[in-house]
Amino acid sequence: MWLLLLAIVDRTGPGRSAEDRLADQAALARIGRGDTAALAELYDRHGRPIYSLALRILQDQGDAEDIVQEVFAQAWRQAARYDVSRGQVAAWLLTLARSRAIDRLRARRARPEPLADRDAADGLIDAAVPADAILMSAERVARVRAALDQLPMLQRMAIELAYYEGLTHAEIAERLEQPLGTVKTRIRTAMLKLRESLAGM
Amino acid sequence: MADHDRLPEDFDAGVAAALARAVPQVDPPEELRARVLSTVGDAGTVRPPSPLRGFNETGQRRQTGGTLAWLALAAALALAVALGGYAVQLRHRARADESRLAVLAAADVKRVDLAGQPVAPRAAAQAYWSRSRGMVFTASNLPPLPAGRVYQLWVLTAQPAPISAGLLKPDAAGAVNVVFDTPADIPTPVAMAVTIEPDGGVAAPTGDKYLVGLAH
Repeated sequence: MWLLLLAIVDRTGPGRSAEDRLADQAALARIGRGDTAALAELYDRHGRPIYSLALRILQDQGDAEDIVQEVFAQAWRQAARYDVSRGQVAAWLLTLARSRAIDRLRARRARPEPLADRDAADGLIDAAVPADAILMSAERVARVRAALDQLPMLQRMAIELAYYEGLTHAEIAERLEQPLGTVKTRIRTAMLKLRESLAGM
Repeated sequence: MADHDRLPEDFDAGVAAALARAVPQVDPPEELRARVLSTVGDAGTVRPPSPLRGFNETGQRRQTGGTLAWLALAAALALAVALGGYAVQLRHRARADESRLAVLAAADVKRVDLAGQPVAPRAAAQAYWSRSRGMVFTASNLPPLPAGRVYQLWVLTAQPAPISAGLLKPDAAGAVNVVFDTPADIPTPVAMAVTIEPDGGVAAPTGDKYLVGLAH
């Protein structure tokens, strides 16, 4: 039935991913010139996925809202310096959101620590985004989601702890009470399967 | 900064980018947009965090507190969650009454009739969708949900994958009556469907379809 519906939908218009990417880049250029309307535009396109990711990581609405504010504040400060060749704006924003959410999660876990210097946080822009522009269509997301659902429980947990909780392999081994070598193998095996789910698209 | 600024060890960039989006999609509170925009009002100075930040500060106290502190914390959290939930409910209801009329009266309103599928032949629903005003969704005779499951409403548009419009929890009679906001940038719906999914919802439909309908 999805196929039927999708077939109907397919005839009604092309995907908008490429258009959206250009619109994002244009919006970021305008933000760089201090245009708040462009920031609103970027928020309307990406606020929801950013909030959803922060909420998944932090499990707390107030904290997730803070992260969204921080991400857009950072986008505002850095827009003028953003190099479009570095990849999708959406991927950049989500990477910022994940990093900041995981910082907060770690601060919550460990003793309360003074927040890192904001300029240091801003340094993330150079490290965070994979250089290749990945076309992140909804279909890719659905495929990875489905592949994740099919992983054996411990593989899936290892992947989720690494990505959504920012744990190192050693920390995952401790949490799952598994030898470190086993955890490393599980993550590599799982990553192969997840990558395969995206292959050929 | 810590080592997680980059991808987790052994992670593929494409997989990581998909994982970022593979979480249940949740609408941020409406007022967050205004807060984000006001944040940058004076050259990017970050405003003090929201009052809900209190959760975090309370959480940190866990480190030093004894059993009594734990109990107090648990009680405070339970109360905060209950009050927060209640406030959201009230706000939702007041807005729902106003916006229901607004949607039905909108010049650009579009109707979608959804029919019960083999798993729920008696179920039926109507959606009234307006790009400018939002969406009213009413359903009847939806079968009771098993524990840990929820109904999820999907909008099919010119985009390749269904877009989640939100979660549905029918009342004891199997009825649903809700108003959703519709983001202005969402393409016009071509069809809608309701599936059964794990609690909290999913990024892409996985469960049986209970209701399906094409836009007129």
